[in-house]
Amino acid sequence: MRKIFPAEELARDSRFVRQSNEDRINDPRGARVGGSTGEKLSKLTPNLPNGPDRARALMHGIFVGEIQALEGAGRTCYDFETNTDVPFAMKLDMARQCWDEARHCEISVALAEHMGTEIGEFAENTLLYQAACNPDPVLRLTGVNRALEGLAIDVFNTMKEFGSIAGDPVLEFCEDWMLADEVTHVKMGSDWLRELTLNDKERLTKALEFQKVVDRLFSFNGFRGEDDENPIQLTRRFRELAGFSDEEIDDIAQMSREAAAEIVH
Amino acid sequence: MTEIQIEPNSFEMVFFDAEKIVNLASEVAQILGLGNEQIKLRIDETSSMGRSKIESYEPIILAVDGGAFENTQRPRYLGETRTSETIARLLMRIIDRRSPEFANAPEDDVLDLPLRVAWDTYTAGRLNHIGLSTQMKRRQYQFRNRHGFSDAADKAFTYLWESPNKLAWADIERISVDCRATLV
Ligand SMILES: [Fe+2]
Ligand SMILES: [Fe+2]
Repeated sequence: MRKIFPAEELARDSRFVRQSNEDRINDPRGARVGGSTGEKLSKLTPNLPNGPDRARALMHGIFVGEIQALEGAGRTCYDFETNTDVPFAMKLDMARQCWDEARHCEISVALAEHMGTEIGEFAENTLLYQAACNPDPVLRLTGVNRALEGLAIDVFNTMKEFGSIAGDPVLEFCEDWMLADEVTHVKMGSDWLRELTLNDKERLTKALEFQKVVDRLFSFNGFRGEDDENPIQLTRRFRELAGFSDEEIDDIAQMSREAAAEIVH
Repeated sequence: MTEIQIEPNSFEMVFFDAEKIVNLASEVAQILGLGNEQIKLRIDETSSMGRSKIESYEPIILAVDGGAFENTQRPRYLGETRTSETIARLLMRIIDRRSPEFANAPEDDVLDLPLRVAWDTYTAGRLNHIGLSTQMKRRQYQFRNRHGFSDAADKAFTYLWESPNKLAWADIERISVDCRATLV
């Protein structure tokens, strides 16, 4: 079996429709994730007239994200040699993550149905999985487990609050349970980053740079941040639990403000 | 014959075909019995949001975000079902307001969200019966968000969606208000 499996060949049935990164970036109305667009936005809550519909679209994005997270963690178990490339304990963590992500896929399908969304109703973009194709396991872990799973913390917490305000116990509890897993996944990223770069400052710097690149990709239009207009709210407390320093969280908040300023003019 | 005007007539940011939209709008207007009306469609192609509103009832002017006509599986391309459904929902509200049973309905800009959603449910249900609307679960989710995740709300939704009788504004208002009264 080949190492580093290309995103184009990920297995999907006929219900799924793929949107290329090129198409996403070339959309002159502004790239979007989960129903957010190039317009000035506001925090995603049920009180917005289109809040439920935006949450519904975002849920589909979460669902395909879970599939790709499963695929990414699975590849990390396989793509690297035990002991020479990565320690066995790290593969064990990735195997545990696969188990979690598989469960998240099932939960997300059920939640999407609960919100009136069909599988494949929205286009799928494979940006998440592509971050999991990095040939360096340390960069892969920072890009996926710290940047993208960090984003998952923010998304799940926002959705959990959405469910709580709407009085929707199904959404609230499901998101809470998944959130707990994501905090663990991010912590795995933080722990292995520290462990694997203990005596390699250059590799650490490179990994943190890669994390920033991925974080920036998902901060466009101020999609995620800690101001009122950010649809997805940055979640300081859970990020701290997952091994983020205050300075790192400040950086992400700042990155988002800069991205939002670029489009608001 | 329905006369449909579309603005703009060609698109730069999305791959919409103005003629196709005109045909869909015309078809929907005929089905709903507005075959002799002039209808103007204003499309904001810069927005991928899905907002839509009635800008004027007489003459009919509908204003929509490009996103309301978009194929969600293929961003920037026209979604025909979605286009027909959006237009049909707006036209249905116009038809309702022209009947005396809806004389007391508040103006669009002061209509509160739960009432609007209840009315939309009644509208989407009727459109569903004539094959112009789908996504019952999506409408139910919207209704639950405004009326509670409860058996009472689900019962009210089903009643509005199936609309066994022709409802008046007072019925919709009562159903929505009663349902919210059960929320704690
Ligand atoms: Fe997950
Ligand atoms: Fe995860």
